Amino acid sequence: MSALYLYPAWLRLWHWLNALLFLTLLVTGLSMHYSLHWLVPFEVAVPVHNTAGMLLTGFWLAFVAGNLWGGNGKHYRIDLRTLPHDLMVQTRYYLHGIFVGAPHPFHVSAENKLNALQTLSYIGVMFGLMPILILSGWSFLFSTALPDTLFGVGTVWIVAMVHLTTSWMLALFLIVHIYIITTGETPTTNLKAMISGWHEGHEDASKP
Amino acid sequence: MFLRPFLNQRSPIGSNPPMRLLLLLAGLVLAVPALSAASNTAPASGALGLFKDDSQTCMRCHWMETMAYRDRETREIVNLSIDTQAYRHSVHAELSCSDCHAHGYSHYPHRSSSADENLQCVGCHETHADAGAPGLIGLEQEYANSVHVVEGVEDFSCFACHNPHTFKPAGGREPIAEVVARTNGVCLDCHEELLTPVPQGHDWLPKPQAHWRSVRCLDCHTPVQGRVPEHPSHQILPAAESNQLCVDCHTRGSALLSQLYNYRAAQGLERQGFFAQALYNEAYIVGMSRNRLLDGISLSVLALTILGVAAHGYGRYRAYRKRETS
Repeated sequence: MSALYLYPAWLRLWHWLNALLFLTLLVTGLSMHYSLHWLVPFEVAVPVHNTAGMLLTGFWLAFVAGNLWGGNGKHYRIDLRTLPHDLMVQTRYYLHGIFVGAPHPFHVSAENKLNALQTLSYIGVMFGLMPILILSGWSFLFSTALPDTLFGVGTVWIVAMVHLTTSWMLALFLIVHIYIITTGETPTTNLKAMISGWHEGHEDASKP
Repeated sequence: MFLRPFLNQRSPIGSNPPMRLLLLLAGLVLAVPALSAASNTAPASGALGLFKDDSQTCMRCHWMETMAYRDRETREIVNLSIDTQAYRHSVHAELSCSDCHAHGYSHYPHRSSSADENLQCVGCHETHADAGAPGLIGLEQEYANSVHVVEGVEDFSCFACHNPHTFKPAGGREPIAEVVARTNGVCLDCHEELLTPVPQGHDWLPKPQAHWRSVRCLDCHTPVQGRVPEHPSHQILPAAESNQLCVDCHTRGSALLSQLYNYRAAQGLERQGFFAQALYNEAYIVGMSRNRLLDGISLSVLALTILGVAAHGYGRYRAYRKRETS
């Protein structure tokens, strides 16, 4: 057992500011969607939601840039030959092994932070849902530049439904994400790692 | 003026003929928006109707704020003063007095019959359509069907609501809240009974004051069908026929949603510019993103997921306790 410095300061800052924006957007978005004046007053929710959305766009662009040129992209590469096996092993662990005290099938290392399920879900969120969310959000703000109707339906409504669907899916991701981080060596291992940068109770990946 | 710095350059770039042409073009591109922006602002003082010769004669008296008389029959004060500042900013600013008040004013004091010249907006706009006056097509019919005319409100005419000396259409750089306040002010000038926290006949409407700040009276009190955002209908509906369906504005497929949203977004864009528009976008309408099916499915999936992870977590806890005790 040892500790591994897994998350440098810039990454933790990015993560927590991103999380703050995510929560802000979720709360203000819910308030706007369901007219929950008691949660956030409407006249506050709208500019805050717009501001947070614009900032989130910047954070997402930083993420893409970091992956393209900053070296972080290696964690999001998929090896198609081993993927089916890795996915099965990881899923079996969450459904069975975790209840019988089986060892973690995936060992975190500086070179390989994410297990197969994490890699797939993060790719889906960051390169699938996030661009759709961001584009639909900006489309709301500049809807006058779009055609009035698309396939005979009001464009604003289509934009609204796309934005809504991706928002709900990201809310789902958030719940699963928060739960999954409790499945480390101890329930708080992963949370502490994202706060301090150090992944405690780390087993050396070179050992079998 | 804009081109001179480019043309006077003696640099190698400026002396190169193709490059000079390019710079000239660039100068033109820069100059054109500036020139068109200048033409969008209030007309230069020379073009203002009140500065034309015949208007000067009228304004010798009518500029006075106290210019008024008491009508012998109704005993009411009739205001005859012209607010020059308001007129300068009105849509009619370029017209001189005699463009509308054509006959019977050459003598002073004016004959009392001069006041009965029976001016009508539509008639004037049709005769002067070639001079750039909007045609107001269909307006006469809408007006004839409006509640004010159908119910025979006494002395009702265009001028009961619109003062041609101050009138300006919505749009441009005026903030939405001001457009709404100004437009609703026209109605509330007469309908004073509505100046209460919960206005008479509007008790069914949630948050009436919030609605009144952001929606024009005529958004509900004109027919939903066949709307053109830039040309509000003049067929003002009676209370019973007015729009009381929340979903006409607040959900998908509504006749008003895209119109209202795009109209307000366009207003905001024009007013504020790129980033400020994004931050202070006032166009979101509560309910526009709501979809019962999608929300139902999403909330169910979220609830099931929360139950699932809770059950998973409880299972882990039980397994952990079991291992601890054994």
